[in-house]
Amino acid sequence: MNRRLVWFGLLLTLSGLAPDDPKQDREVGRSYQVPYRLTNTNHFLVRVRINGKGPFNFLVDTGAPALFIATETAEKIGLKPSPKEFWTPVDRIDFEGGAHLGKLNARVEDPFQLVGMNALGLPGASIDGILGFTVLARFRLEIDPTRDRMTWTRLDFEPRDILIPKTPDGAQAAPKGQALNALGLVAKVAAVALGKEPEEQLHPRGFLGIELTEKDGEVCVLRVLPGSPAAKGGVKNGAHLIEVRGKTIKNATDALSAVAGIRPGESLTLAFSDGKDRFELNLTAGEGL
Amino acid sequence: MNTKTRKLLSLIVTALPVLALPAWADPSAVEAKKIVVPFQLLLSNHMVVTAKLNGKGPYRLIFDLGAPVTLLSNRAAEGSGAVAENAPRAFLMGMRGEAEVAKLEIGDLTAKKVPVVVFDHPTLKLLSDFLGRPLDGIVGYTFFARYKTSIDYKAKRMTFEPSNNEVKNLVRDLEARLTGPKIAKHRMLAPEGFWGMKVGDPTGGVASAGVPITTVWPDTPAAAAGIKEGDILTALDGRWTASVADVYAASTAVPAGRTVDVVVLRDGKELTLTVTPRAGL
Repeated sequence: MNRRLVWFGLLLTLSGLAPDDPKQDREVGRSYQVPYRLTNTNHFLVRVRINGKGPFNFLVDTGAPALFIATETAEKIGLKPSPKEFWTPVDRIDFEGGAHLGKLNARVEDPFQLVGMNALGLPGASIDGILGFTVLARFRLEIDPTRDRMTWTRLDFEPRDILIPKTPDGAQAAPKGQALNALGLVAKVAAVALGKEPEEQLHPRGFLGIELTEKDGEVCVLRVLPGSPAAKGGVKNGAHLIEVRGKTIKNATDALSAVAGIRPGESLTLAFSDGKDRFELNLTAGEGL
Repeated sequence: MNTKTRKLLSLIVTALPVLALPAWADPSAVEAKKIVVPFQLLLSNHMVVTAKLNGKGPYRLIFDLGAPVTLLSNRAAEGSGAVAENAPRAFLMGMRGEAEVAKLEIGDLTAKKVPVVVFDHPTLKLLSDFLGRPLDGIVGYTFFARYKTSIDYKAKRMTFEPSNNEVKNLVRDLEARLTGPKIAKHRMLAPEGFWGMKVGDPTGGVASAGVPITTVWPDTPAAAAGIKEGDILTALDGRWTASVADVYAASTAVPAGRTVDVVVLRDGKELTLTVTPRAGL
């Protein structure tokens, strides 16, 4: 315990200021809209590219002291952590939405909350790392839980890395225990029992190639794209769209919701009117938007 | 699942707060408009706020965007009356389970009926011992998700503005996961607008900047914007398009008539174009 505390104390001793990067000065005051997703474990994820590689899902965690990159992620990026150095330098990190940072120290490690959260199973995503204090403190963070984007504004503030002591042979050893492991215990404990769930499957909607217009309370075909499923199925410009998959169409929104579940390759029936006669056409959805 | 595991699990799961209580929907439960709260930055780079719990305190709490719950130590939970002193403890970290703080005050901000989890977090204990001053808990998602929250490390202050956000019920989700079948969920990504283009799968793995545009139909919004076949689409409406699914996911938020930026790479150069999708299928 005492030894651990000594480690911890040393860890908390702060090093000098990181050197300012003059190139980043122009960034001060700039605001970015950073898309995020809230996981079903109430964690915020944002996407990043590191040294141009990615995108990867990183957890926004003010309870973590630094930038953590999972070992598997580091391999994909091509980062090679030195066994003698605690930190692995990163040249550039880009955040979805446009924000970016220059040279930065990262710790390549699998902190227990990453292992735990990935075990919990998040829809469509694994967590590839943690954005902690040394990243987040460079921005003023605004989080409105009713919006799907955070606002990050670059500050003129250079947070300091925690100092990692060297052993007598000059190597920086990884501290043991909880010193660098932040506060995600609850998720971890629950994860043990829950096990991993399959990732969410995402499916693009199928495309027909019909541009619509609303005219006198009716939905009309404005244009049929050449070679599209609609063209192949015989849809003609000017026809009135009255039904899609058995649902009555009163406006363009009705049409959108009627096809929302159609995948490429699936067939569907549309009913049209040419002014006096009703006729039905079978189309096979293709790809596109 | 054996009884022991289930017991442990129910303890853990019920230890997580129930969030969808009617009181949460009641705007009067949040009494403040845009309130500034100063924080202290610990040597460990954690933010600490001073709070009164049920009028008792002050208690020192870590503010943690990465914490899915709000947590109190046994000391703070007993001292504030959130749990009775004789409430039973579990073998695990003195866990007391779920409780509620009737009134949580941070500076001029008052939040009512805040669900908390009570246990002695080992990292908090370690930090307290090192710093020589007790830390009494962690303020997490179940608190800050009630607000539009802003954090400024340079100025060492946070701003809270009440929000009508419905705080997600973590407990219900976890229970559903526990009892539900372990099969992949399927989600359709349906564009809200008509663009007139096709995209293909990216090449280059993690080094790929985006997806190739394989078709642009003439006289469509995509063509009008100047998008060309062979362009690499890297962003749509401020979202990265690293996969075909990303393109469709971003397009679900762009209805007909809304103008958005798209970014493409053409001959190695980055171009930002504006597209206004129309109505269509």
